[in-house]
Amino acid sequence: MSLANNFYNLIFKRNSVYVPVVFASAFAFGIGFDLGTTAFWDSWNKGKQWKDIRHNYVQQEE
Amino acid sequence: MSTLARSVTRVNLAPTVSQFSTGVPKAPVFVNFAAKAPHDAHGHHGPSAIRSDVAPSWATEVKLRNGFNGLVSKTHVTAPPTVPGSFRHIHTSRAVQEAPEVPDYSSYKTSSGSNNRALSYFLVGSMGVVSASLAKSTVTGFLSSMAASADVLALAKVEVEMANIPEGKNVIIKWRGKPVFIRHRTPEEIEEANSVDVKALRDPQTDEARTKQPEWLVMLGVCTHLGCVPIGESGDYGGWFCPCHGSHYDISGRIRAGPAPTNLEIPEYTIDEGAGKIVVG
Amino acid sequence: MASKATTARTLLRSSAWSTSSRTAAPSFKQSFGARFASTQSSTAPASSVFTSGATLAAATGLTVGSIAWYTHLYGELPLIGGVSASSLADNGLHPAEHPWSHKGVLDSFDHASIRRGYQVYREVCAACHSLDRIAWRNLVGVSHAVDEVKEMAAEVEYEDGPNDQGEMFQRPGKLSDYMPKPYPNEEAARAGNAGALPPDLSLIVKARHGAADYVYSLLTGYIDPPAGVTVREGLNYNPYFPGGAIAMARVLFDGLVEYPDGTPATTSQMAKDVTTFLHWAAEPEHDERKKIGLQALIIFGSLLTLSLYTKRFKWTPLKTRKIVYVPPKDAH
Repeated sequence: MSLANNFYNLIFKRNSVYVPVVFASAFAFGIGFDLGTTAFWDSWNKGKQWKDIRHNYVQQEE
Repeated sequence: MSTLARSVTRVNLAPTVSQFSTGVPKAPVFVNFAAKAPHDAHGHHGPSAIRSDVAPSWATEVKLRNGFNGLVSKTHVTAPPTVPGSFRHIHTSRAVQEAPEVPDYSSYKTSSGSNNRALSYFLVGSMGVVSASLAKSTVTGFLSSMAASADVLALAKVEVEMANIPEGKNVIIKWRGKPVFIRHRTPEEIEEANSVDVKALRDPQTDEARTKQPEWLVMLGVCTHLGCVPIGESGDYGGWFCPCHGSHYDISGRIRAGPAPTNLEIPEYTIDEGAGKIVVG
Repeated sequence: MASKATTARTLLRSSAWSTSSRTAAPSFKQSFGARFASTQSSTAPASSVFTSGATLAAATGLTVGSIAWYTHLYGELPLIGGVSASSLADNGLHPAEHPWSHKGVLDSFDHASIRRGYQVYREVCAACHSLDRIAWRNLVGVSHAVDEVKEMAAEVEYEDGPNDQGEMFQRPGKLSDYMPKPYPNEEAARAGNAGALPPDLSLIVKARHGAADYVYSLLTGYIDPPAGVTVREGLNYNPYFPGGAIAMARVLFDGLVEYPDGTPATTSQMAKDVTTFLHWAAEPEHDERKKIGLQALIIFGSLLTLSLYTKRFKWTPLKTRKIVYVPPKDAH
């Protein structure tokens, strides 16, 4: 109850706060979403991508 | 012959709508918009032409049916005839209620308005967040399509082996369709370039500003006048000479005489000491 | 007067609902100008050419005739002719589905397999088949490191120029160069292969029915021709190839190449690796595409949910309101 009210008074009450918060969150969300999906993708395809197998070939040569 | 059995009033009324034999009303295929209800004077001008308390004379006629044992029609009128100003007693509309029954909606009502308010704002805001993020990605995608493509970028850099260029020699390479002069300068040439009074030049620039390492001079080989390619190791100042209109450049590629307005341009390049390469671009 | 007129009107109105009455109908015909139902024969023709018997006969004749003409021309009935079972001789044996490591909607290519497949291509296929759309730089970060690719490219001589003297010259390959061709042009390729043109392999996986399954099946599917099938001299029997007779001979045999990573170079292993490589060559964007697809599904899914909520939220006051009409008090 009070938590919801706090949120409302802090963020939603004034549009001048609400809209910048939305845009800032969009920026953060974009980065976080990219990181999250990439982490999932990499774990799902573990051992198949180039970055997983690169060390096998580059170290041999050096 | 038929005789009147009883003196009762029986009415054979035409139904207000035509019926099937089962009594189901037939839906009319045609709506007679021209038909109007009889004028109703609202009782303003004395008794109406039609009296609503008396059945009209045509409705109260006793009718005999010929050829069927003289029987009077069996259709009894249980409702008064529909005349202007009277109620219709047979109809399919719902009964009029004085006060409409309102269902009990209290179980739908929230127990906490402030929670709901915050949740609604949060979810609407979340939609804004996701949409803005999507819009940003879309715009970025379109903008990045304007950037140089991978095959152009692959051609955009030229590597030159420094060991292949002896001291005091010029090399001309092609980079993005333009000639690039690379000169491995001798110590005397470097000294000569530094000894010039910079302030007296048309386009004042020190030799240090034009090179990353004094031994290596990398310039675009395009005359700043009208775009000819100057000739190396010639001209009055020991540098380059443009044959088209006679511009003289010194050993640092600075304009000294002739119509050209500025010094020869320096492209973007890096010197990779480890690999012994100059990378132009 | 007034009551008479009202009566007439009432009769008129009632007659509108009883037009089926035979006695009433004619008498009101004039005043209404139209009859709604009648058992009498109509005086004007009720229909146009669209319902005439001649039209029906002509349309039927046209339909039957065009079907017959089509069948005569092409030897099969229109539309349903294509449903015939594929014939082995015409379309080749249908390749079985293979469990590719990149088959699922979230599965990337197996890049170690691409690297081995490149080796197979370079050592075996490249003798006859070009790979025009792949440049050396495409291998970087996919199957090889930059320095490896630079080395491999430098081993090949490319013609460049013109130089200052206006002459073409040879120089070692760079990252921006495309894969070298085995033959300078199509005629040379045909001449070297008994008239058959080895197709370019850049898009071969996209360009064949059955895609990767077909390429794999073809490479591993060489068998002796069955009884009754004779294959012309210079051709080889392969049931997966449309027509069965293919100019390319079986090229993959166990132990043909030696993988540096120790993978046993069986025929099927090499076929799988080179097919994976060719699939990558046809779809270099494959991994990125699937990853973006995952992201797009998540974003659009949540956006749909949120917009449904928002729609209901915004519409609730409109949907649940009640409009009450309070009639004004009678002025009379």
